[in-house]
Amino acid sequence: MEEFIIQTEELTKDYSSWLRKTPRPALDRLTISIPKNCIFGFLGPNGAGKTTTIKILMGLIRPTGGKAMVLGKPYDDVESKNRIGFLPDSPAFTPTLSATEFLDVCARLLKIPGERRKKRIEEVLEIVRMTQHAKAKIGTFSRGMLQRIGIAQAILNDPELLILDEPLLGLDPYGRQEFKEIILGQKRDFHASVFFSSHILSDVEEICDCISILNKGRLLCSGPLQTLLSGGGKGVTVDVRSEDALRELVVFAKQTNRIADGEWELLFEQKDPAVEAKINELVGRFGDRVQIRSANEELESFFFKKIEQDNAAKMN
Amino acid sequence: MGEIIAIASGTWKNILRMKVVYFLIVCVWILVGIASMYEILTIGYHKPLMMDVSLVLNAIAASLTVLSVTFEIPRELRQGVAATLLTKSLGRTQYLAGKAVGICVAGAVICTLIAAGSFVIYSQTFAVTIAGTMLKAQLMLIISIIPMSAMAVFFATIFPEVVAPVLTILAIWFSYSTGILSHIPVLYGGILPNLDFFNFRSHAVYLHPIPGFYMILATLWGIAYALFLLMFTSFFFKAKDIK
Repeated sequence: MEEFIIQTEELTKDYSSWLRKTPRPALDRLTISIPKNCIFGFLGPNGAGKTTTIKILMGLIRPTGGKAMVLGKPYDDVESKNRIGFLPDSPAFTPTLSATEFLDVCARLLKIPGERRKKRIEEVLEIVRMTQHAKAKIGTFSRGMLQRIGIAQAILNDPELLILDEPLLGLDPYGRQEFKEIILGQKRDFHASVFFSSHILSDVEEICDCISILNKGRLLCSGPLQTLLSGGGKGVTVDVRSEDALRELVVFAKQTNRIADGEWELLFEQKDPAVEAKINELVGRFGDRVQIRSANEELESFFFKKIEQDNAAKMN
Repeated sequence: MGEIIAIASGTWKNILRMKVVYFLIVCVWILVGIASMYEILTIGYHKPLMMDVSLVLNAIAASLTVLSVTFEIPRELRQGVAATLLTKSLGRTQYLAGKAVGICVAGAVICTLIAAGSFVIYSQTFAVTIAGTMLKAQLMLIISIIPMSAMAVFFATIFPEVVAPVLTILAIWFSYSTGILSHIPVLYGGILPNLDFFNFRSHAVYLHPIPGFYMILATLWGIAYALFLLMFTSFFFKAKDIK
């Protein structure tokens, strides 16, 4: 049985009160299940409900409906927080404390034993390349440096689950690269699962295994990234400019489109090894008259398509 | 308990690192010293005046120290510092308790420094030793920070940082006036703490003994009131969305 690190069922948050009515719930019956050891990208335009979801999962705000489980425990379970690392969207820490002092407070809250605490703080500062600023007051830090300290406090306890809200915000290209390495390292070395929201789709595409797209509080789609981008399994497209090759391939194709005279586009299931072998054989025989082309869309175009479809559906 | 100490340590470090705190302490010492110059105006009562001034100014310093938490908690909630801390293994009640303990420790350090300085000035100016009653009066003033801290945490949690300090200072002022207010049940129905329990200015000035049993009872009352108020605050804070 597959284990889920995060499960939500009909999760709803409505900020309306008797004083102030909002036009729609911030989060509308969100149901997602996130498998273990997965890097999960949580996408959506501004106001989609990403931060609301993350704050519910971290027990900071209460849902008005539905259920949420994190690491198999209810979202507001205090003890399970020891196994989670969290980075808020705009990290802010006590400005009068130094980086080391603030991380020491966090380490104490995470119940890291005294003898290990100092060593671990040095380690995480090294990971986020902030060792030389360890004694500096947090109030003097730039946005990028704060983000690095945020990442440091999030990985302090070698968490099983990292929940990160816009972690790439404020980081320069080097910082982004380093951050992606940290995330991948957490998954590789500590088998951590990562749940993060981001607007930088190229980075999401690069590191995520699974994604969800939200719009105006509603879930539009969720699943493995490759499956979603390949349109649910219509994996490989082959451009054919030979009638002989076409005759041999057409029987396996799920869909055949005539592009021009003597040129066809054949769409195949991705995971069929027999078809893959046949295609490779024909590529060898017919050279550039049989060309394999990935059918996968780029995440960016997929994202825009989904959002626009949803917005159009709401308009009609 | 470790979580409470962690939050408390962050709070007291934060306060005790403010330069304005030491400026305040030096100002109080100067004002206490100046009391010795009022010999003529007070017709020779400048000695008790100095002790009275030191206790009054120490009470004001305690109130101002406590007031700092009414800025700190709403700011931490607004800026997201509280959100970062509360996503660790920290209950909301523990966060509030940590803040209250932190402010108590910071207040105790500041008031102890003021009291110690005042005693040095008093004994050097008048070449006398410090009476036990004076020590006890200053000690009770320091203990009064416990219910004051709980009040500040209550207002800081419920109200925004523009309103919370004003309400806190009003509540402290009312709490020192409960002797008068008790005759007006509408204004004082036992909800406000009675900080008059900790006020031994007249005993210190006129060297009347302060019974140890009374001091213990007042301390226990202060702790019980603070615990009650923190639990009450926690009830609201647990239901609050932290954005």
